[in-house]
Amino acid sequence: MSVSPAELSETLRRKDIRDRWFLSAPALILIGVASAGPLLIVVLYSFLAPGSYGDVKWAFSTDGWFNVFFSRDIFDETVSLAEAHFSIFWRSIRVALATTVLCLILGFPTAYFIATRPPHNRSIWLFVITIPFWTNMLIRAFAIQEVIRTEGLVNTLLLKLGIISAPIQMLFTDFAILLGMTYVHLPLMVLPLYASLEKLDFRLVEAAYDLYASRLNVLLKVIVPLVKPGLIAGSILVFIPALSSYVIPRVLGGGKNLMIGNLIELQFGQGRNWPLGAALSVTLVAIVLVALLFYVRNVGKSGGGAHG
Amino acid sequence: MHGIKKWFGNFQAVDDVSLEIRPNEFFTLLGPSGCGKTTLLRMIAGFEMPTEGSIRLDGTEIASLLPNQRPVNTVFQNYALFPHLTVAENIGFGLKMLGRPKAEIAATVAEMIKLVHLEGRGGDPVTQLSGGQQQRVALARALAPRPKVLLLDEPLSALDLKLRKSMQIELKRLQSETGITFVFVTHDQEEALTMSDRIAVMSHGKVRQVGEPWEIYDRPAERFVADFIGDTNFLDVDVVAIEGERARVRLASGAEIPATFPADIRPAGKVTIVIRPEHARAVSTGLSPATPQSVPLSGTVHDVVYLGTDTHFHVRLEDGTNFMVRQQNARSGPCGFAVGDPVGIELSDDVAQILRD
Repeated sequence: MSVSPAELSETLRRKDIRDRWFLSAPALILIGVASAGPLLIVVLYSFLAPGSYGDVKWAFSTDGWFNVFFSRDIFDETVSLAEAHFSIFWRSIRVALATTVLCLILGFPTAYFIATRPPHNRSIWLFVITIPFWTNMLIRAFAIQEVIRTEGLVNTLLLKLGIISAPIQMLFTDFAILLGMTYVHLPLMVLPLYASLEKLDFRLVEAAYDLYASRLNVLLKVIVPLVKPGLIAGSILVFIPALSSYVIPRVLGGGKNLMIGNLIELQFGQGRNWPLGAALSVTLVAIVLVALLFYVRNVGKSGGGAHG
Repeated sequence: MHGIKKWFGNFQAVDDVSLEIRPNEFFTLLGPSGCGKTTLLRMIAGFEMPTEGSIRLDGTEIASLLPNQRPVNTVFQNYALFPHLTVAENIGFGLKMLGRPKAEIAATVAEMIKLVHLEGRGGDPVTQLSGGQQQRVALARALAPRPKVLLLDEPLSALDLKLRKSMQIELKRLQSETGITFVFVTHDQEEALTMSDRIAVMSHGKVRQVGEPWEIYDRPAERFVADFIGDTNFLDVDVVAIEGERARVRLASGAEIPATFPADIRPAGKVTIVIRPEHARAVSTGLSPATPQSVPLSGTVHDVVYLGTDTHFHVRLEDGTNFMVRQQNARSGPCGFAVGDPVGIELSDDVAQILRD
């Protein structure tokens, strides 16, 4: 049997493509089962009608999506914008942004400190940073509650020392939410920042000092541009879970000030409106995607990513 | 600088160094790695504080000033260019930090780019440049603010031989064109001899000898200096007499030759002299009866190394010491002697130098 070179190369090419699909099958299956599949189910549910006791009825309905953006008066059926939902979305974004900024402000010096320790000490400091991860977030939230509640550690201490005459209301305030959120998400900022700072060539810092840069300019003109990938990775890692978090706002915010996560949880729980919950979830994913696109475009514009 | 000492914990990196570097000078700190030369440079730059001693620049004490307060710039060993900036932004960084007007920065950067022959590359990211080009950006960046002193920390060590040779000439040209004092650190003795106005040879945190290249090479004061720079023959001799600036020394063969010595000692008794291999010639002993005075040394060839431009004869002297003779291959064809041949060794005038103990 004679095979022309062209036919042979065509056969080999097909075999190559087939092999590639075959070899990447485990990863594709995993992505399908663990990521794309559940997301598709959520999208599907958002277009179904709610069941009476939770669950869904297999009937097409856009009520779930309608209810994300509008509310129908139960008496006169007038349609108005769902202002409650918009304020919760806006509030969640604000809290997530504030958490990201706080984590940056606290995380950068921490990561810088660790990265400038002698190498054998760094792992100890990193270990310390990761210790909170060993405990369930709920337990950590209650621990903070114990510290800041009216009869808690801080108030008792301040009263005993005579600095204040009446306990300060800290629990169930925005302060409590931000404190908890920052505490929980800080390691997610420190670790990628540390990874970037550790790779930073400190001779560049010396070179900047040598060329008459002030401390502030060394930070802004040399260190920050060079660790930008870490800053961005850390910000994304903090912003996304912060946006969708519900344990901290519930335990430390007292459930008064809802965030998207609480709203979604409500629909799948007491609200028994799974399609609305699903539609809200998809909306959340969309917000995150928009935020990510915003980040990616900004990085591309300023020519970052040349280093690291 | 005066009486500089630097301790890192229990390790003394720099031990009581006093040096005077003259304006517009190409001054080299030469020594093996770990001799303290880089530490000394970093103290001039301000990255390290001397544990003791003072550093003065034009009469002003600068030892306690921060690096960004000193009119001193550094070319780093691995260039330390800012990877996120372009060639022009790198060169203009120092001026920008000094708050100079934009127009002045642009003019100086253009001038610097021309000075280091990087025309048309100003907008390129520095990561796209070759090693030699990065080197020149680093030079331009350090020269742009017109420092009083430019410090160079082994800037050529990462380049290949050919590029290194051309950069040596380039550096020398830049120094004479800008009139800036260069303090150059290297472990490469050839580099030091080629470029420097004066050299300080260092080892174990101490300055062993300071002088012009020919003084360092022809009149080494210590065994370390003689050994570190070039090939050397050491001979044990007796001092017979001192005649002004020369001493008469008696070789093992009985011949007496004049020898120079460091100004701060008065040699007596048994001393060691150095003779550079190219200051000696191997001559045939068979033809004319040699007197000890015209041919002070003799022995047997035990190795011949042919190097193209010249040939090295390793001669075992009668008293057993090895002596190397470097002879230029002035004519083509096989070199004069073979292993096992008896040879005499003639010395040029005034080539022996007595070492400090």
